[in-house]
Amino acid sequence: MSSRTMKLICSRIVIAGAVIVLLVWSLGPIYWSVVTSLTPPTDLISSNPHFWPQHLTLQHYGRLFGSTSMSQGNEVQSVWPQFSRALINSVITSVGATILTVVIAAFSAYAFVRLRFPGRDLLFILVVATLAIPAYTVMIPLYRIMIATRLVDTYLGVTLIYVSAFLPLALWLMRSVYQAMPLSLEEAAWLDGASKVYTLVRIVMPLAAPGLIAAAIITFLNAWGQFLVPLVFSPTLTTKPLTVLIPEFISRNYVDYGLINAAGIVAIIPPVLVVLFLNRFLVSGLMAGATK
Amino acid sequence: MMSPSSQQRSRRRGGDFRLGLAFVIPVIIIMGGLVLFPLLSTMVDSVYRINPMRPGTPFAGLGNYIDLFQDPNVRQSWLNTIYYVVLAVILETVGGLAAALLLNKIKHGRRWLLAAVVLPWCLPPVVNAVVWLWIYNPSYGLLNHILQSVGLTSAPVVFFNNRYAALFLVTIVHVWRMMPLTAIILLASLQSIPQDLYQAAKLDGAGPIKSFRMITLPLIASGLAIALSQSTVFAFNLFDEAWILNGASLDTRTVIIQTYMYAFQNMKFSMGMALSLLAMLASLLISLLYVLKVYRETRFD
Repeated sequence: MSSRTMKLICSRIVIAGAVIVLLVWSLGPIYWSVVTSLTPPTDLISSNPHFWPQHLTLQHYGRLFGSTSMSQGNEVQSVWPQFSRALINSVITSVGATILTVVIAAFSAYAFVRLRFPGRDLLFILVVATLAIPAYTVMIPLYRIMIATRLVDTYLGVTLIYVSAFLPLALWLMRSVYQAMPLSLEEAAWLDGASKVYTLVRIVMPLAAPGLIAAAIITFLNAWGQFLVPLVFSPTLTTKPLTVLIPEFISRNYVDYGLINAAGIVAIIPPVLVVLFLNRFLVSGLMAGATK
Repeated sequence: MMSPSSQQRSRRRGGDFRLGLAFVIPVIIIMGGLVLFPLLSTMVDSVYRINPMRPGTPFAGLGNYIDLFQDPNVRQSWLNTIYYVVLAVILETVGGLAAALLLNKIKHGRRWLLAAVVLPWCLPPVVNAVVWLWIYNPSYGLLNHILQSVGLTSAPVVFFNNRYAALFLVTIVHVWRMMPLTAIILLASLQSIPQDLYQAAKLDGAGPIKSFRMITLPLIASGLAIALSQSTVFAFNLFDEAWILNGASLDTRTVIIQTYMYAFQNMKFSMGMALSLLAMLASLLISLLYVLKVYRETRFD
């Protein structure tokens, strides 16, 4: 074999090894969580863990979704009432925040790019500058505002806080999308007598769809994963999301790791679906948001 | 008298004005009411004593800030935060750069590898922390099993009994979540480098290390600055992972956890506000340093 092909094979092996390391690092913990969620409690406390579960069980998922089970002779109550409530709360607040954020960003970013009005650039700079303000800096006065307006523990209150936190990034992203579009298209529509609103909704927005999808995905993932905001603003099951409920399964003396991993797996289904089917939009959105 | 076209233009401008305002009014209301007003109120209130458990809100001047400097818990949480920031930024940048270089090199199946790499960033941080909590479990956790089977330890270790081990393990969970963002930002920069630069360097006899140093690094410098400031700000804001893995423990307490405890557990609102302002200023300052440094270094090419 020539030294050239040797070299090629060596570099192939190094790359394959690096790919495996990266895959194990990224997916290993998730795989381990799936395995744990399918392992019976007695196997979880065995002295040597198996990378492939020996006895599969759905009992942890059963406890989440409604059946009572037996553990050490005691009947264990299902957590379905709390779990279903939190699941619904997570869906409502994150979907609501996503829709509001994307609609507001779709219209206002267009105004920031194409419509002239006084104070436009100053307003844009002010809004985008809030990206640098971490949510917790404004949280304490926000808490007092929410108490005063009776919005603590309401869907509206939590959703509005999410919108205020994620709107600047969506705006930034949508502005860069609109800026990259040729003005000639819109001008042709205006010459044909189309109004600005009609042009925006029927011509510009469909062309900006990939950007809108990216903004929606990033907003949804951020809202779905929020912890500190609902920890403060969603004290009861009225609006408490999964991210706040799941850590409550950890008690001081005893942690049901099967249950908590099963709940975690349910909570990561929406993000996993996004990555599987919409990753193209997500990555291009993250790249655009970061580089422009 | 105006010519018809300029009249039309001015009418259009007036329409623009009203339409533009209509489009941005929701932004003004939401951002003004829920971010800018609370921010100003944080600044003002941090020099008063605001505590729902005590009557009145007397002016305190810099009293809150002086109290902060004298509180040993605050000092400890700053040290912890600095530790997190330094370690997380280094690990995320090195790991993210390696991942980005690998992704850039791969031709087949890049889409799938990218999906796997991005995934941890997409998951709720709380779930990540719970998953790792189980891995770190002292009696039945995967980490202890691996360490023992490799022979590094002979008996199960309670990792969170040691402050530095605890800080390190919390950082790992944070790095696991945030590294994908660094990798994607750097991948975007790598993809914008024209390939013929590398061919030219090869013709000039430059090896891979030299062309990495002379071409890749300078050309991804701006991406690197963005990635560095992102990871700094996020490490400064670390809350979820430390809170789930080790609760309010002083060993792993961050500035944000301290802020949360001041405000929502001890009801010392104004102390929390003063501390959160300082944390914001610190993270802004460091990000600014990166940007200026990179700006200065790339200005000459």
